[in-house]
Amino acid sequence: MAVRESGRVKDAMQKRILDEDARKRRQKKALEALEQDNFHEDPHADLVMHKKAPKFQDDLKNATRNKRKTRTADYFKQRFRKNFAQLVEEDLNYNSTVPNYTTAQAPPSAFPDRHFCAVCGFPSPYTCIPCGARYCSVKCLGSHLDTRCMKWTA
Amino acid sequence: MNTQVFVLDNGAYTAKAGLATATPTVVPNCIMKAKSERRRPFIGNQIEECRDLAALYFMLPFQKGYIVNWDIQKTVWDYIFSKECCPINLSQTSITITEPPFNFSSIQEAMVEIFFEDFEVASLLRINPSTLSCYHYRHENPTAKCCIVIDVGYSFTHIVPYVNDMKIKAGIRRIDVGGKLLTNHLKEILSYRQLHVMDETYVVNQVKEDSCYVSQDFYNDMEIAKKKISENSIVKDYVLPDFTNIRRGYLTDPGTDTDSQVLRMNNERFSIPEILFHPSDVGIKQMGIPEAVMDSIKVCEEETWPHLLANIVLTGGCAKFPGFRERLLKDVRSLAPEEYKINIHLPENPITYAWEGGSLLANDSNYSSLVVKKEEYEEEGQAVCYDKFDT
Ligand SMILES: Nc1ncnc2c1ncn2[C@@H]1O[C@H](COP(=O)(O)OP(=O)(O)O)[C@@H](O)[C@H]1O
Ligand SMILES: [Mg+2]
Ligand SMILES: [Zn+2]
Ligand SMILES: [Zn+2]
Repeated sequence: MAVRESGRVKDAMQKRILDEDARKRRQKKALEALEQDNFHEDPHADLVMHKKAPKFQDDLKNATRNKRKTRTADYFKQRFRKNFAQLVEEDLNYNSTVPNYTTAQAPPSAFPDRHFCAVCGFPSPYTCIPCGARYCSVKCLGSHLDTRCMKWTA
Repeated sequence: MNTQVFVLDNGAYTAKAGLATATPTVVPNCIMKAKSERRRPFIGNQIEECRDLAALYFMLPFQKGYIVNWDIQKTVWDYIFSKECCPINLSQTSITITEPPFNFSSIQEAMVEIFFEDFEVASLLRINPSTLSCYHYRHENPTAKCCIVIDVGYSFTHIVPYVNDMKIKAGIRRIDVGGKLLTNHLKEILSYRQLHVMDETYVVNQVKEDSCYVSQDFYNDMEIAKKKISENSIVKDYVLPDFTNIRRGYLTDPGTDTDSQVLRMNNERFSIPEILFHPSDVGIKQMGIPEAVMDSIKVCEEETWPHLLANIVLTGGCAKFPGFRERLLKDVRSLAPEEYKINIHLPENPITYAWEGGSLLANDSNYSSLVVKKEEYEEEGQAVCYDKFDT
């Protein structure tokens, strides 16, 4: 077992090494994933939901509100259509008074980074040479090489 | 006709909404779609009518804490003001609505336009939730000259210092870690280590809320979590909901007999909330909350430091992790000058604390001077809002 495992480890180590740019891309992707609203696709993307919600539309009419036909949700989608990156950009260009959104972000910590095994999450003293991930034991390095490491492309 | 005040703390996760004289309704600020329900989307609390909550799909108005999907936001607001939720006569209502610090001007203008031109409200106040929390705190502690509000919400964490009720803008710090990121990270590590739950944001969010806690001694807890089960006081099983017999999962001792699927929760229980204290654990190059509190305070006049440190107010849904307050106290204590007393107030309900501040503010004799009235907006447009609102 130990022999086979270290043989596999050796093999992997001799293969390519992920360059600095690729590591950065991988890190960026991981951070973007943490911002995602959904991992899967809209299960009913084919249905036009707003129009298929008669119950809700009826309620709107009955609500204790007065007159003037309210504009549809779609109107607002068209009327205000800036994405987040555009908003930040606009803020920096036209509204550059400090402090602002960009300057308010907390600066980097003065404490050193801590390192955890990419597999099991426990503190990890070792760095995987090909990809820079952390691991804590031969066992975890094995699963890392089998499942992630160079198997991901970023 | 008298105008009533309706407070809408418009969070990215939930809107806390209600007449200032009532109690708030907590409304998921999103539209959800269920795999099992092709006929309809679920807006806000309509999700309670959905039987099978597996693989819920979320449509959120907010991105990184700011409104970008206006069609979704408008749909949820329409729901909030409808008979189904909080029916009110908007034309005779003053609305207090929250927005995050440093909200973008396009968003502010869109909000104002929708409320005056579409909802036709009688008057409007746009304000930061932290300012409402400050008002609430000062109401309870009239002698406190200063306070520093920490809001650990869904999209991010804000640290906002107030001196004599004035927001110190230069001292505001944002950490891009909130409950959303914590849930997504938990989803990621559970999916890699045990069971594919990437599509189960709704369920894993509950796993997080039901299982996680803030460690008082991180590396020591890591040592405990490494021990075998019989000697490990941290490891638990989370029984997953099946939406037939179990609607919400729960934590139980490992190895408990159950027919349902379980997740083993070990170091995940405390390494998830730990990201709020060390964002660099997931590669975010920002200070954690305790360090950012000190960074924020240092921007303020030195004579305010003892007052700020003695009046730290901890709000937002993530403040509900057990152990949060104690750990924050310990960490700030270790960073702050020894001679200062440190006190952290964790409200009974950190989620509605800002809303309750809004409810109190509505009774303030000054309230009517803070709002923009419909007639003023009609005459002067957006400009009067920029003049009046301190955000
Ligand atoms: N008991 C709890 N323990 C830990 N986190 C919680 C708890 N209750 C709510 N939360 C989290 O708090 C976040 C929402 O907090 P909230 O202050 O309401 O956010 P927002 O104002 O941004 O909508 C969510 O990510 C939710 O999972
Ligand atoms: Mg909030
Ligand atoms: Zn490991
Ligand atoms: Zn590797």
